[in-house]
Amino acid sequence: MKKNYIIIFIFLFTFLSCEKDDICVETTTPNLIIKFYDNDNQTVAKQITELTVWADSKDSIYINKSLDSIAIPLNLNENFTRYIIENNTIKDTIKFIYNRNDIFVSRSCGYKTIFENFQIESNTTNWIKSISINNSTIDNEKAAHIYIFH
Amino acid sequence: MKKQHIFIYFISILFTISVNSQEKLDTLKTKESYGIRIGLDVSKPIISYLDDKINGYEFVGDIRIFKNYYAAVELGFTNKTTIEDYLNFTTKGSYFKAGFNYNAYKNWKGMSNEIYIGLRYGLSFFNQTLNSYTPHVKGTYFIPNTLEPNTEFNDLTAQWIEIVFGMKVETFKNLYLGVSVSLNNMLNTKEPENFKNLYVPGFNRVFLNNAGVSFNYTLSYLIPIFKKQKK
Repeated sequence: MKKNYIIIFIFLFTFLSCEKDDICVETTTPNLIIKFYDNDNQTVAKQITELTVWADSKDSIYINKSLDSIAIPLNLNENFTRYIIENNTIKDTIKFIYNRNDIFVSRSCGYKTIFENFQIESNTTNWIKSISINNSTIDNEKAAHIYIFH
Repeated sequence: MKKQHIFIYFISILFTISVNSQEKLDTLKTKESYGIRIGLDVSKPIISYLDDKINGYEFVGDIRIFKNYYAAVELGFTNKTTIEDYLNFTTKGSYFKAGFNYNAYKNWKGMSNEIYIGLRYGLSFFNQTLNSYTPHVKGTYFIPNTLEPNTEFNDLTAQWIEIVFGMKVETFKNLYLGVSVSLNNMLNTKEPENFKNLYVPGFNRVFLNNAGVSFNYTLSYLIPIFKKQKK
């Protein structure tokens, strides 16, 4: 009988020693996803051959890349983020404004921030022809949130 | 040499005879105490003293209702601050557990120790305070500030079931030392809005699969009410 108890205890402790909610594996704060399209043929994605992206007074996220879409983080300490997107040495500045909403995820991840009422307050048009917002709530990274036509 | 062997032989025969005669005499029935046993968890005040993030106490009590069956209760209070990577919260509340123990240990005559298995229903009333959190982001391009909302979530409840394994040893007359471990399974909780009951008083840490573990180390005293013949 005593032996059985010991076996039960060992069995249970081996199971309890691992805590799978200690590592954050859930998706948390989403990035802003921008997709570039051809202004003449608005259903066709168009690459930028020399793309450099940085937020106002910060380091570059992308340097001289050839891409048709980018994922960039938004500032969680402000209700706006200003990004500079450079296409073949021509710069354009876009100012995004939004409301932040913190949503509980799990023990290990804590809270994630989602962005609501997402808008473009202002942008320059040196190479950008037009911008359209696909989704004004940024709560996932499944599809592009804004389209830039050039 | 030979003499010695013969001597031992005779002594051993005497011994067996005397043991046998004792067993025959031992048909006397012994008495067992029945009564209320009350005590407290001695580990919780020590943990409270050593760790400034936890403060708690627990009282225990049981009563022998039938041969090997005991009705048991635990009452306690916990105030604990939990620190996770991106969260810091305080849980404060009281709990009540009630159920029974089945003693599976066959005592020798005159002893009253227990190795038991038990079942409990647990109930807790508590508050959670979200002291601070840092929104979780991938990468380090923008580093978010830690926010201190101090949001209070009041009037929360939880109900659960426990399976208890434990033992109690009578050290001095009517004074018992006990140790037990419980495996808990949450039945239902009243969850806070945009937060989660990650810790519940009495249940302790709530794991992802709604399971939990609790321990106690008790010192309890049996108040004898009546004595019954053991068959």
